Amino acid sequence: MANVRLDKIKPLVALAAFLFAWWAIPTTVKSYLKAGFTEFQSPAWVATSYLDDLEGFWARRSHSKVELIEAGREVARAKSHYQFRAKRTQSLEQEILRLETILNLPSRREFRYEVARVIRRDLNFWWQHIIIRKGKDYNIPKGAAVVFAGGVVGRVIEVNAFTSRIELVTSPNFRMAANFEGDVRPVIYQGVAQSGFGNPIGSVRDAPKDTHASTLTPLKLVSTHLGGTFPAGLVIGQVSWLEPGITGIFQAGSVELDSRLLSLHEVAVLIPLHPINLPSDNL
Amino acid sequence: MIIFDLRAILLLGSNVLLLFLTLIVNSALSGWSIYMLLLGPMLVFPALYLRHQHFFVCVLCTGLWCDAALPSPFGLFTILFLIAGALIFQLRIRFRADQNYHPLLLSHGINFFCIVIVSISMSTEYILSVGFWLHFLVITIVSHLTLLIVSPWFFNFERMLFALFRMDDEPEDYPTL
Repeated sequence: MANVRLDKIKPLVALAAFLFAWWAIPTTVKSYLKAGFTEFQSPAWVATSYLDDLEGFWARRSHSKVELIEAGREVARAKSHYQFRAKRTQSLEQEILRLETILNLPSRREFRYEVARVIRRDLNFWWQHIIIRKGKDYNIPKGAAVVFAGGVVGRVIEVNAFTSRIELVTSPNFRMAANFEGDVRPVIYQGVAQSGFGNPIGSVRDAPKDTHASTLTPLKLVSTHLGGTFPAGLVIGQVSWLEPGITGIFQAGSVELDSRLLSLHEVAVLIPLHPINLPSDNL
Repeated sequence: MIIFDLRAILLLGSNVLLLFLTLIVNSALSGWSIYMLLLGPMLVFPALYLRHQHFFVCVLCTGLWCDAALPSPFGLFTILFLIAGALIFQLRIRFRADQNYHPLLLSHGINFFCIVIVSISMSTEYILSVGFWLHFLVITIVSHLTLLIVSPWFFNFERMLFALFRMDDEPEDYPTL
Protein backbone atom coordinates (compact mmCIF):
# COMPACT_ATOMS: atom_id res chain seq x y z
CA MET A 1 0.00 0.00 0.00
CA ALA A 2 2.80 2.37 1.01
CA ASN A 3 4.61 1.56 -2.25
CA VAL A 4 1.57 2.50 -4.30
CA ARG A 5 1.27 5.85 -2.50
CA LEU A 6 4.96 6.62 -2.98
CA ASP A 7 4.71 5.72 -6.64
CA LYS A 8 1.96 8.30 -7.08
CA ILE A 9 4.13 11.12 -5.78
CA LYS A 10 7.36 9.84 -7.38
CA PRO A 11 7.87 13.03 -9.50
CA LEU A 12 7.59 15.22 -6.43
CA VAL A 13 9.92 12.98 -4.36
CA ALA A 14 12.49 13.01 -7.20
CA LEU A 15 12.16 16.78 -7.47
CA ALA A 16 12.74 17.23 -3.73
CA ALA A 17 15.77 14.91 -3.88
CA PHE A 18 17.18 16.85 -6.83
CA LEU A 19 16.68 20.23 -5.12
CA PHE A 20 18.53 18.95 -2.04
CA ALA A 21 21.34 17.53 -4.23
CA TRP A 22 21.61 20.81 -6.17
CA TRP A 23 21.86 22.73 -2.92
CA ALA A 24 24.56 20.34 -1.65
CA ILE A 25 26.67 20.21 -4.84
CA PRO A 26 29.81 22.37 -4.50
CA THR A 27 30.02 25.50 -6.67
CA THR A 28 33.12 24.13 -8.40
CA VAL A 29 31.15 21.19 -9.78
CA LYS A 30 28.43 23.55 -11.03
CA SER A 31 31.07 25.75 -12.68
CA TYR A 32 32.53 22.74 -14.50
CA LEU A 33 29.02 21.67 -15.53
CA LYS A 34 28.28 25.12 -16.94
CA ALA A 35 31.63 25.34 -18.74
CA GLY A 36 31.08 21.88 -20.21
CA PHE A 37 27.62 22.69 -21.58
CA THR A 38 28.79 26.09 -22.87
CA GLU A 39 31.78 24.64 -24.70
CA PHE A 40 29.54 21.95 -26.16
CA GLN A 41 27.23 24.60 -27.63
CA SER A 42 29.94 26.96 -28.90
CA PRO A 43 30.76 25.14 -32.18
CA ALA A 44 27.15 25.55 -33.34
CA TRP A 45 27.32 29.32 -32.82
CA VAL A 46 30.73 29.60 -34.45
CA ALA A 47 29.48 27.53 -37.41
CA THR A 48 26.42 29.81 -37.75
CA SER A 49 28.70 32.83 -37.80
CA TYR A 50 30.90 31.31 -40.51
CA LEU A 51 27.76 30.47 -42.52
CA ASP A 52 26.79 34.16 -42.25
CA ASP A 53 30.21 35.10 -43.58
CA LEU A 54 29.80 32.65 -46.44
CA GLU A 55 26.40 34.12 -47.24
CA GLY A 56 27.99 37.58 -47.36
CA PHE A 57 30.77 36.26 -49.59
CA TRP A 58 28.30 34.82 -52.12
CA ALA A 59 26.20 38.00 -51.96
CA ARG A 60 29.30 40.03 -52.85
CA ARG A 61 30.18 37.58 -55.63
CA SER A 62 26.94 38.54 -57.35
CA HIS A 63 28.10 42.17 -57.78
CA SER A 64 29.09 43.25 -61.26
CA LYS A 65 32.71 43.98 -62.23
CA VAL A 66 31.93 47.69 -62.59
CA GLU A 67 30.64 47.82 -59.00
CA LEU A 68 33.72 45.96 -57.74
CA ILE A 69 36.08 48.31 -59.61
CA GLU A 70 34.25 51.31 -58.11
CA ALA A 71 34.45 49.77 -54.61
CA GLY A 72 38.17 49.06 -55.17
CA ARG A 73 38.75 52.72 -56.05
CA GLU A 74 36.98 53.86 -52.88
CA VAL A 75 39.06 51.44 -50.79
CA ALA A 76 42.26 52.74 -52.42
CA ARG A 77 41.24 56.34 -51.60
CA ALA A 78 40.43 55.42 -48.00
CA LYS A 79 43.70 53.48 -47.73
CA SER A 80 45.84 56.44 -48.81
CA HIS A 81 43.90 58.69 -46.41
CA TYR A 82 44.45 56.31 -43.49
CA GLN A 83 48.11 55.81 -44.40
CA PHE A 84 48.60 59.56 -44.07
CA ARG A 85 46.65 59.55 -40.75
CA ALA A 86 48.76 56.65 -39.47
CA LYS A 87 51.99 58.53 -40.19
CA ARG A 88 50.58 61.63 -38.49
CA THR A 89 49.50 59.54 -35.44
CA GLN A 90 52.94 57.94 -35.30
CA SER A 91 54.69 61.33 -35.24
CA LEU A 92 52.25 62.64 -32.58
CA GLU A 93 52.83 59.53 -30.44
CA GLN A 94 56.58 60.08 -30.67
CA GLU A 95 56.07 63.69 -29.61
CA ILE A 96 53.90 62.60 -26.65
CA LEU A 97 56.54 60.04 -25.65
CA ARG A 98 59.26 62.70 -25.84
CA LEU A 99 57.25 65.13 -23.67
CA GLU A 100 56.40 62.35 -21.17
CA THR A 101 60.10 61.54 -20.88
CA ILE A 102 61.01 65.23 -20.34
CA LEU A 103 58.25 65.65 -17.71
CA ASN A 104 59.07 62.26 -16.13
CA LEU A 105 55.40 61.12 -16.32
CA PRO A 106 54.41 57.55 -15.35
CA SER A 107 54.06 55.16 -18.31
CA ARG A 108 50.58 54.48 -19.69
CA ARG A 109 49.05 51.06 -20.20
CA GLU A 110 49.55 49.84 -23.76
CA PHE A 111 47.02 47.67 -25.63
CA ARG A 112 46.82 45.58 -28.73
CA TYR A 113 43.51 45.43 -30.64
CA GLU A 114 41.87 42.11 -31.42
CA VAL A 115 38.98 42.64 -33.84
CA ALA A 116 36.22 40.05 -33.38
CA ARG A 117 32.89 39.33 -35.04
CA VAL A 118 29.71 39.37 -32.94
CA ILE A 119 27.95 36.02 -33.25
CA ARG A 120 25.04 36.55 -30.87
CA ARG A 121 23.27 39.39 -29.10
CA ASP A 122 21.25 38.81 -25.91
CA LEU A 123 19.75 42.21 -25.23
CA ASN A 124 16.72 42.73 -23.00
CA PHE A 125 15.67 44.09 -19.62
CA TRP A 126 17.16 41.07 -17.81
CA TRP A 127 20.60 40.94 -19.41
CA GLN A 128 22.69 42.94 -21.90
CA HIS A 129 25.32 40.62 -23.33
CA ILE A 130 26.91 39.84 -26.68
CA ILE A 131 29.05 36.87 -27.70
CA ILE A 132 32.09 37.24 -29.96
CA ARG A 133 33.87 34.65 -32.10
CA LYS A 134 37.22 34.79 -30.29
CA GLY A 135 38.18 33.31 -26.95
CA LYS A 136 41.11 31.54 -25.38
CA ASP A 137 42.35 30.67 -28.88
CA TYR A 138 43.20 34.40 -29.30
CA ASN A 139 44.33 34.94 -25.69
CA ILE A 140 41.32 37.12 -24.83
CA PRO A 141 41.62 37.89 -21.11
CA LYS A 142 38.70 38.13 -18.71
CA GLY A 143 38.01 41.76 -17.77
CA ALA A 144 39.42 43.21 -21.02
CA ALA A 145 37.83 46.35 -22.46
CA VAL A 146 35.79 46.13 -25.66
CA VAL A 147 35.33 49.06 -28.03
CA PHE A 148 33.87 49.88 -31.44
CA ALA A 149 33.85 52.84 -33.83
CA GLY A 150 31.35 54.67 -31.60
CA GLY A 151 33.31 54.24 -28.35
CA VAL A 152 33.01 51.90 -25.38
CA VAL A 153 31.12 48.61 -25.86
CA GLY A 154 31.70 46.85 -22.56
CA ARG A 155 33.90 44.37 -20.76
CA VAL A 156 34.73 40.67 -21.28
CA ILE A 157 33.08 38.68 -18.47
CA GLU A 158 33.48 35.09 -19.67
CA VAL A 159 36.09 33.52 -21.90
CA ASN A 160 35.57 30.11 -23.50
CA ALA A 161 37.72 28.14 -25.90
CA PHE A 162 36.41 29.80 -29.10
CA THR A 163 33.97 32.43 -27.85
CA SER A 164 33.78 35.19 -25.24
CA ARG A 165 30.82 36.79 -23.54
CA ILE A 166 30.80 40.58 -23.20
CA GLU A 167 28.75 42.60 -20.76
CA LEU A 168 27.58 45.73 -22.52
CA VAL A 169 27.98 49.26 -21.21
CA THR A 170 24.15 49.32 -20.98
CA SER A 171 24.03 46.54 -18.38
CA PRO A 172 23.17 47.56 -14.78
CA ASN A 173 26.15 45.46 -13.62
CA PHE A 174 28.59 47.52 -15.69
CA ARG A 175 30.39 50.36 -13.90
CA MET A 176 33.49 52.34 -14.85
CA ALA A 177 35.42 55.50 -14.05
CA ALA A 178 34.88 58.32 -16.54
CA ASN A 179 35.23 62.06 -16.95
CA PHE A 180 33.63 64.78 -19.02
CA GLU A 181 35.64 65.86 -22.05
CA GLY A 182 37.92 68.74 -21.08
CA ASP A 183 37.44 68.12 -17.35
CA VAL A 184 39.89 65.78 -15.60
CA ARG A 185 37.76 65.29 -12.47
CA PRO A 186 36.50 61.66 -12.35
CA VAL A 187 32.85 60.65 -12.28
CA ILE A 188 31.21 57.23 -12.14
CA TYR A 189 29.33 55.78 -15.10
CA GLN A 190 26.88 52.89 -14.55
CA GLY A 191 24.53 51.10 -16.92
CA VAL A 192 20.81 50.92 -16.18
CA ALA A 193 18.15 48.35 -17.03
CA GLN A 194 16.95 49.20 -20.55
CA SER A 195 13.23 49.80 -20.80
CA GLY A 196 13.17 48.51 -24.35
CA PHE A 197 12.25 51.20 -26.84
CA GLY A 198 14.36 54.18 -27.86
CA ASN A 199 18.11 54.67 -27.65
CA PRO A 200 20.06 52.89 -24.91
CA ILE A 201 20.82 54.90 -21.81
CA GLY A 202 23.12 54.82 -18.80
CA SER A 203 23.63 56.93 -15.70
CA VAL A 204 26.39 59.15 -14.39
CA ARG A 205 26.95 60.15 -10.77
CA ASP A 206 29.48 61.94 -8.57
CA ALA A 207 29.68 64.80 -11.09
CA PRO A 208 31.03 68.05 -9.55
CA LYS A 209 28.44 70.70 -8.70
CA ASP A 210 29.92 73.32 -11.04
CA THR A 211 29.34 71.09 -14.09
CA HIS A 212 26.48 72.24 -16.31
CA ALA A 213 24.82 70.25 -19.07
CA SER A 214 21.84 71.07 -21.25
CA THR A 215 20.24 69.79 -24.44
CA LEU A 216 21.83 72.72 -26.33
CA THR A 217 25.30 72.12 -24.90
CA PRO A 218 25.48 68.44 -23.97
CA LEU A 219 28.60 67.14 -22.26
CA LYS A 220 30.57 64.29 -23.79
CA LEU A 221 31.35 61.53 -21.29
CA VAL A 222 34.65 59.79 -22.05
CA SER A 223 36.68 57.02 -20.45
CA THR A 224 39.59 57.74 -18.17
CA HIS A 225 42.77 55.77 -17.57
CA LEU A 226 42.02 55.73 -13.81
CA GLY A 227 40.18 52.40 -13.92
CA GLY A 228 43.08 50.79 -15.77
CA THR A 229 40.90 48.69 -18.06
CA PHE A 230 40.08 51.39 -20.64
CA PRO A 231 42.46 53.88 -22.26
CA ALA A 232 41.54 57.53 -21.77
CA GLY A 233 39.35 59.44 -24.22
CA LEU A 234 36.99 56.75 -25.54
CA VAL A 235 33.43 58.06 -25.97
CA ILE A 236 30.81 56.58 -23.63
CA GLY A 237 27.89 58.87 -24.42
CA GLN A 238 26.36 62.32 -24.05
CA VAL A 239 24.87 63.92 -20.96
CA SER A 240 22.08 66.43 -21.60
CA TRP A 241 21.10 67.21 -18.02
CA LEU A 242 22.44 66.91 -14.49
CA GLU A 243 20.61 67.26 -11.19
CA PRO A 244 21.70 67.10 -7.54
CA GLY A 245 22.33 63.51 -6.45
CA ILE A 246 21.07 61.74 -3.32
CA THR A 247 23.84 63.19 -1.13
CA GLY A 248 23.41 66.74 -2.44
CA ILE A 249 27.19 67.14 -2.73
CA PHE A 250 27.50 65.79 -6.28
CA GLN A 251 25.28 65.73 -9.37
CA ALA A 252 23.81 62.78 -11.24
CA GLY A 253 22.18 62.39 -14.65
CA SER A 254 21.28 60.23 -17.58
CA VAL A 255 23.76 59.30 -20.34
CA GLU A 256 22.55 58.89 -23.92
CA LEU A 257 24.47 56.01 -25.50
CA ASP A 258 25.13 55.17 -29.14
CA SER A 259 22.13 53.39 -30.72
CA ARG A 260 24.54 51.22 -32.75
CA LEU A 261 25.24 49.29 -29.52
CA LEU A 262 22.02 47.35 -30.15
CA SER A 263 23.15 46.01 -33.53
CA LEU A 264 26.89 45.49 -33.32
CA HIS A 265 28.57 43.30 -35.92
CA GLU A 266 32.23 43.78 -35.15
CA VAL A 267 34.05 44.95 -32.04
CA ALA A 268 37.67 45.26 -30.90
CA VAL A 269 38.95 43.75 -27.67
CA LEU A 270 41.72 45.78 -26.04
CA ILE A 271 44.25 43.29 -24.78
CA PRO A 272 46.73 44.86 -22.36
CA LEU A 273 50.36 44.21 -23.22
CA HIS A 274 50.84 43.65 -19.49
CA PRO A 275 48.43 41.32 -17.64
CA ILE A 276 45.22 42.72 -16.15
CA ASN A 277 45.04 42.95 -12.38
CA LEU A 278 41.27 42.58 -11.94
CA PRO A 279 40.74 43.69 -8.30
CA SER A 280 42.56 46.99 -8.85
CA ASP A 281 40.96 47.58 -12.26
CA ASN A 282 37.37 47.31 -11.12
CA LEU A 283 35.88 50.20 -9.26
CA MET B 1 16.41 -4.50 -17.41
CA ILE B 2 15.75 -0.80 -18.07
CA ILE B 3 16.15 0.15 -21.72
CA PHE B 4 16.68 3.84 -22.33
CA ASP B 5 13.82 5.40 -24.26
CA LEU B 6 15.27 6.92 -27.43
CA ARG B 7 12.35 9.32 -27.56
CA ALA B 8 14.02 11.21 -24.67
CA ILE B 9 17.03 11.89 -26.92
CA LEU B 10 14.79 13.00 -29.79
CA LEU B 11 12.88 15.35 -27.50
CA LEU B 12 16.12 16.73 -26.08
CA GLY B 13 17.40 17.32 -29.63
CA SER B 14 14.16 19.11 -30.54
CA ASN B 15 14.46 21.32 -27.45
CA VAL B 16 18.06 22.21 -28.35
CA LEU B 17 16.93 23.09 -31.89
CA LEU B 18 14.08 25.27 -30.62
CA LEU B 19 16.38 27.17 -28.25
CA PHE B 20 18.99 27.63 -30.97
CA LEU B 21 16.44 29.03 -33.44
CA THR B 22 14.91 31.29 -30.78
CA LEU B 23 18.29 32.75 -29.88
CA ILE B 24 19.14 33.36 -33.55
CA VAL B 25 15.86 35.23 -34.03
CA ASN B 26 16.39 37.20 -30.80
CA SER B 27 19.88 38.16 -31.95
CA ALA B 28 18.50 39.40 -35.27
CA LEU B 29 15.70 41.35 -33.52
CA SER B 30 17.96 43.05 -30.97
CA GLY B 31 17.95 46.31 -32.97
CA TRP B 32 14.17 46.58 -32.43
CA SER B 33 14.42 45.81 -28.69
CA ILE B 34 12.19 42.76 -29.09
CA TYR B 35 12.98 39.59 -27.20
CA MET B 36 11.17 36.26 -27.10
CA LEU B 37 11.31 33.56 -24.48
CA LEU B 38 9.93 30.35 -25.99
CA LEU B 39 10.63 27.71 -23.35
CA GLY B 40 7.12 26.41 -22.71
CA PRO B 41 6.90 23.81 -25.51
CA MET B 42 10.13 22.13 -24.38
CA LEU B 43 8.60 20.47 -21.32
CA VAL B 44 5.23 19.36 -22.63
CA PHE B 45 6.05 16.20 -24.58
CA PRO B 46 8.69 14.86 -22.14
CA ALA B 47 6.15 15.22 -19.33
CA LEU B 48 3.27 13.69 -21.29
CA TYR B 49 5.03 10.94 -23.24
CA LEU B 50 7.97 9.56 -21.25
CA ARG B 51 8.38 7.37 -18.19
CA HIS B 52 9.52 9.24 -15.11
CA GLN B 53 13.25 8.46 -15.22
CA HIS B 54 13.47 9.34 -18.93
CA PHE B 55 11.41 12.48 -18.41
CA PHE B 56 13.73 13.49 -15.58
CA VAL B 57 16.92 13.00 -17.62
CA CYS B 58 15.46 14.81 -20.64
CA VAL B 59 14.20 17.82 -18.65
CA LEU B 60 17.39 18.00 -16.56
CA CYS B 61 19.57 18.10 -19.69
CA THR B 62 17.25 20.66 -21.33
CA GLY B 63 17.45 22.86 -18.24
CA LEU B 64 21.24 22.65 -18.05
CA TRP B 65 21.46 23.41 -21.77
CA CYS B 66 19.30 26.54 -21.35
CA ASP B 67 21.27 27.60 -18.28
CA ALA B 68 24.53 27.40 -20.22
CA ALA B 69 23.09 29.25 -23.23
CA LEU B 70 21.38 32.10 -21.39
CA PRO B 71 23.10 34.55 -19.03
CA SER B 72 20.84 33.75 -16.07
CA PRO B 73 22.18 32.37 -12.77
CA PHE B 74 23.27 28.78 -13.44
CA GLY B 75 20.58 26.37 -12.29
CA LEU B 76 17.61 28.72 -12.64
CA PHE B 77 16.11 27.05 -15.71
CA THR B 78 17.06 23.55 -14.55
CA ILE B 79 15.13 23.98 -11.30
CA LEU B 80 12.32 25.86 -13.02
CA PHE B 81 11.86 23.16 -15.65
CA LEU B 82 11.96 20.33 -13.12
CA ILE B 83 9.34 22.01 -10.93
CA ALA B 84 7.01 22.77 -13.85
CA GLY B 85 7.67 19.35 -15.41
CA ALA B 86 6.98 17.49 -12.15
CA LEU B 87 3.65 19.28 -11.75
CA ILE B 88 2.57 18.42 -15.30
CA PHE B 89 3.81 14.85 -14.90
CA GLN B 90 1.72 14.52 -11.74
CA LEU B 91 -1.41 15.59 -13.64
CA ARG B 92 -0.60 14.15 -17.04
CA ILE B 93 -3.43 11.65 -17.04
CA ARG B 94 -5.82 14.59 -17.46
CA PHE B 95 -4.24 15.80 -20.70
CA ARG B 96 -4.61 14.49 -24.24
CA ALA B 97 -1.23 14.36 -25.94
CA ASP B 98 -2.47 13.09 -29.31
CA GLN B 99 -3.94 16.47 -30.25
CA ASN B 100 -2.40 19.92 -29.99
CA TYR B 101 -5.05 21.63 -27.88
CA HIS B 102 -3.92 20.55 -24.40
CA PRO B 103 -0.17 20.70 -25.19
CA LEU B 104 -0.69 24.23 -26.56
CA LEU B 105 -2.41 25.38 -23.37
CA LEU B 106 0.30 23.76 -21.28
CA SER B 107 3.08 25.38 -23.29
CA HIS B 108 1.52 28.82 -22.78
CA GLY B 109 1.14 28.19 -19.04
CA ILE B 110 4.74 27.02 -18.59
CA ASN B 111 6.07 29.84 -20.73
CA PHE B 112 4.28 32.49 -18.69
CA PHE B 113 5.56 30.83 -15.50
CA CYS B 114 9.13 31.02 -16.91
CA ILE B 115 8.80 34.70 -17.88
CA VAL B 116 7.48 35.59 -14.42
CA ILE B 117 10.19 33.68 -12.54
CA VAL B 118 13.03 35.03 -14.75
CA SER B 119 11.69 38.59 -14.29
CA ILE B 120 11.56 38.13 -10.52
CA SER B 121 15.01 36.58 -10.26
CA MET B 122 16.80 38.93 -12.67
CA SER B 123 15.28 42.34 -12.02
CA THR B 124 13.52 42.48 -8.65
CA GLU B 125 15.05 45.90 -7.86
CA TYR B 126 13.28 47.44 -10.89
CA ILE B 127 9.87 45.98 -10.12
CA LEU B 128 8.44 49.44 -9.35
CA SER B 129 9.71 51.06 -12.56
CA VAL B 130 7.46 51.62 -15.57
CA GLY B 131 10.20 50.31 -17.88
CA PHE B 132 10.12 46.93 -16.15
CA TRP B 133 6.39 46.48 -16.64
CA LEU B 134 6.54 47.78 -20.23
CA HIS B 135 9.28 45.32 -21.03
CA PHE B 136 7.50 42.50 -19.21
CA LEU B 137 4.35 43.21 -21.20
CA VAL B 138 6.18 43.35 -24.54
CA ILE B 139 8.11 40.11 -23.89
CA THR B 140 4.96 38.31 -22.75
CA ILE B 141 2.82 39.44 -25.69
CA VAL B 142 5.49 38.80 -28.34
CA SER B 143 6.44 35.41 -26.86
CA HIS B 144 2.87 34.16 -26.55
CA LEU B 145 1.83 35.40 -29.99
CA THR B 146 4.83 33.58 -31.43
CA LEU B 147 3.98 30.49 -29.40
CA LEU B 148 0.58 30.33 -31.13
CA ILE B 149 2.49 29.51 -34.32
CA VAL B 150 5.59 27.82 -32.97
CA SER B 151 4.00 25.41 -30.47
CA PRO B 152 1.77 23.48 -32.95
CA TRP B 153 4.68 23.34 -35.41
CA PHE B 154 7.01 22.10 -32.66
CA PHE B 155 4.61 19.41 -31.42
CA ASN B 156 3.96 18.18 -34.97
CA PHE B 157 7.71 18.19 -35.57
CA GLU B 158 8.24 16.00 -32.49
CA ARG B 159 5.47 13.62 -33.59
CA MET B 160 7.05 13.48 -37.06
CA LEU B 161 10.38 12.54 -35.47
CA PHE B 162 8.67 9.70 -33.56
CA ALA B 163 7.16 8.44 -36.82
CA LEU B 164 10.42 8.89 -38.73
CA PHE B 165 12.40 6.86 -36.21
CA ARG B 166 9.58 4.30 -35.91
CA MET B 167 8.99 4.94 -32.25
CA ASP B 168 5.91 4.55 -30.15
CA ASP B 169 3.75 7.66 -30.55
CA GLU B 170 1.51 6.77 -27.61
CA PRO B 171 2.24 8.32 -24.19
CA GLU B 172 3.51 5.97 -21.45
CA ASP B 173 1.17 5.08 -18.57
CA TYR B 174 -1.86 6.06 -20.63
CA PRO B 175 -5.07 4.87 -18.95
CA THR B 176 -6.58 1.86 -20.68
CA LEU B 177 -10.36 1.95 -20.78
